[in-house]
Amino acid sequence: MTSPAMTAPADQSAGYRAMVRRKRWLLLGFLVLTTLSLVLDLALGPVGYSVKEVVQAVLWPDSVPMQLRVVVWDIRLPTALMALAVGAALSVAGAQMQTTLNNPLASPFTLGISAAASFGAALGLAFGVALFPSFAGYVVPVNAFVMAMLSAGLIHLLSMKRGVTTATIVLLGIALVFTFNALLALVQYFATEQAVAAVVFWTMGSLTKATWPKLGVTCLVIAITLPLFARNSWALTALRLGDDKAASFGINVARLRLQTLVMISLLAAFPVAFVGTIGFVGLVGPHIARMLIGEDQRFFLPASVMTGALLLSISSVVSKTLIPGAIFPIGVVTSLIGVPFFISLILGSKERSW
Amino acid sequence: MDKAEAASSPPPGQSITVKDLLGREVQVRAPVQRVILGEGRQLYLVAALDTDNPVQRIVGWRKDLIQADPDTYSAYAKKFPAIADIPTFGGFEDGTFDIEQAIAQKPDVILLNIEAQRATDDARYIEKLAALGIPVVYVDFRHHPMENTEPTMRLIGRLFGKEARADEFIAYRNAQIRRVADTIAAHQPARPKVFIERIGGYSEDCCLSFGNENFGKFVEVAGGNNVAKGVIPGTFGQLNPEQVIAANPDQIVVTSANWEAYVPSGSWIGVGPGADLPEARRKLEAYTRRPAYAGTRAAQGRAFHAIWHQFYNSPYEFVAIQQLAKWFHPTLFADLDPDATYREMHERFLPVPFQPGYFVSLEGAAPASAKAAP
Repeated sequence: MTSPAMTAPADQSAGYRAMVRRKRWLLLGFLVLTTLSLVLDLALGPVGYSVKEVVQAVLWPDSVPMQLRVVVWDIRLPTALMALAVGAALSVAGAQMQTTLNNPLASPFTLGISAAASFGAALGLAFGVALFPSFAGYVVPVNAFVMAMLSAGLIHLLSMKRGVTTATIVLLGIALVFTFNALLALVQYFATEQAVAAVVFWTMGSLTKATWPKLGVTCLVIAITLPLFARNSWALTALRLGDDKAASFGINVARLRLQTLVMISLLAAFPVAFVGTIGFVGLVGPHIARMLIGEDQRFFLPASVMTGALLLSISSVVSKTLIPGAIFPIGVVTSLIGVPFFISLILGSKERSW
Repeated sequence: MDKAEAASSPPPGQSITVKDLLGREVQVRAPVQRVILGEGRQLYLVAALDTDNPVQRIVGWRKDLIQADPDTYSAYAKKFPAIADIPTFGGFEDGTFDIEQAIAQKPDVILLNIEAQRATDDARYIEKLAALGIPVVYVDFRHHPMENTEPTMRLIGRLFGKEARADEFIAYRNAQIRRVADTIAAHQPARPKVFIERIGGYSEDCCLSFGNENFGKFVEVAGGNNVAKGVIPGTFGQLNPEQVIAANPDQIVVTSANWEAYVPSGSWIGVGPGADLPEARRKLEAYTRRPAYAGTRAAQGRAFHAIWHQFYNSPYEFVAIQQLAKWFHPTLFADLDPDATYREMHERFLPVPFQPGYFVSLEGAAPASAKAAP
């Protein structure tokens, strides 16, 4: 046997190991950037506390003056952490939607989940309608959540019909988007101008609605769904090769898809219900992750978590520094920051990522 | 005598030229007998002119009064049941105005708020209506209430042939504003820093507020210093809750109303005509625990107040200004009684009785001007 034939497998595995190493470094880079952004988000604010004071307030809340404690624990921390959690949840939801539906345009927004949530919220804001008996003060998020889950359920039901392909599901989703947008417009037509203003404001998204309980629920959903996705990661990777190939590996494609859609709905519905529609993250977060790190779920999943978290965290910083003292709607900022970066990645990438 | 009479109320059909709030010269046959209100809340002005029967000239109106101020609407509906028969229109602003329905009412004039201008221009309504001989006149008492309410009242008075009555209202309103403005100008008291929380309890978000217009302006006239004026570029906006802490306001004023229909058992404060004030005060108490107010001078001094939100779009805002002044400078305005002013205005100009309940403060609030920053 000649030496090239002998060394080829060794080369390949060395190349593979190098690739894995490179991806690990990329993930680490994301982690560092996200942490930096979080620190920046916590350190910046109209009350000019020093970083030292903020750190002290985070670590030993009882040792600092009441006002500093309130600013850090009741205002900055919930908002900054909510940015990470919401970004991560929406990005993962988008990533897995794109994977299971095998469509680059899929996201919680193209499937009508956020349009449904907006409609639910608008019903509450405009007419005080509670779709579900809920605590006072939680009518709007509960409404948004109920509508989001209903629309997801509708998609699940339709997707189980015979002969429905992934493309049909995406089309159904788009039909839902238009339906709920029309219903939203109908609500606005009958609502007072004040309610219309509130609805418009809600749909632009706002992290100032973040509270510790809401953050807790969002984190809980992420904590439940991520390990399940990780366990299914090889199957999900295989799904991208096509349904038939995946089935030939012994994967129950229909069951996997249904399971994934349920988890995606939870991941998308909670954040949208809590902070309004921050649409862009769910579409762009996963694309950025995929272009930088590839399709392998072992890396793609954590990368999506971090691109989403990072994108929203940066947006959170920008939204409060753009007009010092005022709050700029986060949904607007996210799109304006994400779009240029996204376009430069699309135009700059040499290989087809989709 | 005869000549003066003729000048103040020309016989029907006589054409007069008026200048509206956009500076347009408009020909109208005055006094108008049939008018469409492009905003229902224009009734606030109409009622002060046609006090005996404010409904007589109105042949159509927008439904905003019924939705935004149901208490006032029901007070009028009780006395003038015919108000329920007035056809309602969609708004020009949102493009839901039905021009055919308007034409069918054969109005002598249509009164529009200036914010409807863009939509009206886009749809070329003015030209279409002009072709049918229906003039459109723009008025304003929301965008720049301090400047525009007076010319708006004078204009409507002229259209209705009620100039004297309009002048009487204008004089009364100016006198009431001067009671505050002159005292502030004469004494130049230290201006307390004031944060206005807009639509408290309507949205779960904190710190919606006013820039340097509307309530923001009222605060300034009343001798306060609106902490959001340098931060919010337009009339409406949202402050970072932390910014409120950084600004350290001496006084917090929450604009609110009974929003049971929108936010059932929400944290709104039900101030407004005939309000349950002890209950309103109890709900106001919860605002002292908001993170945005933690440790501020307002929180230390319990200087929290709630005021009826609809003053933001009412020619009766001078009553709100008086109350704000009394809150900011209690010793200076010890003799001023805003409720008495409002009652007197109802008795002199309006057909419906006054019901108190537009304002509430926490008990045990420390006097403000003593703590105000220089």
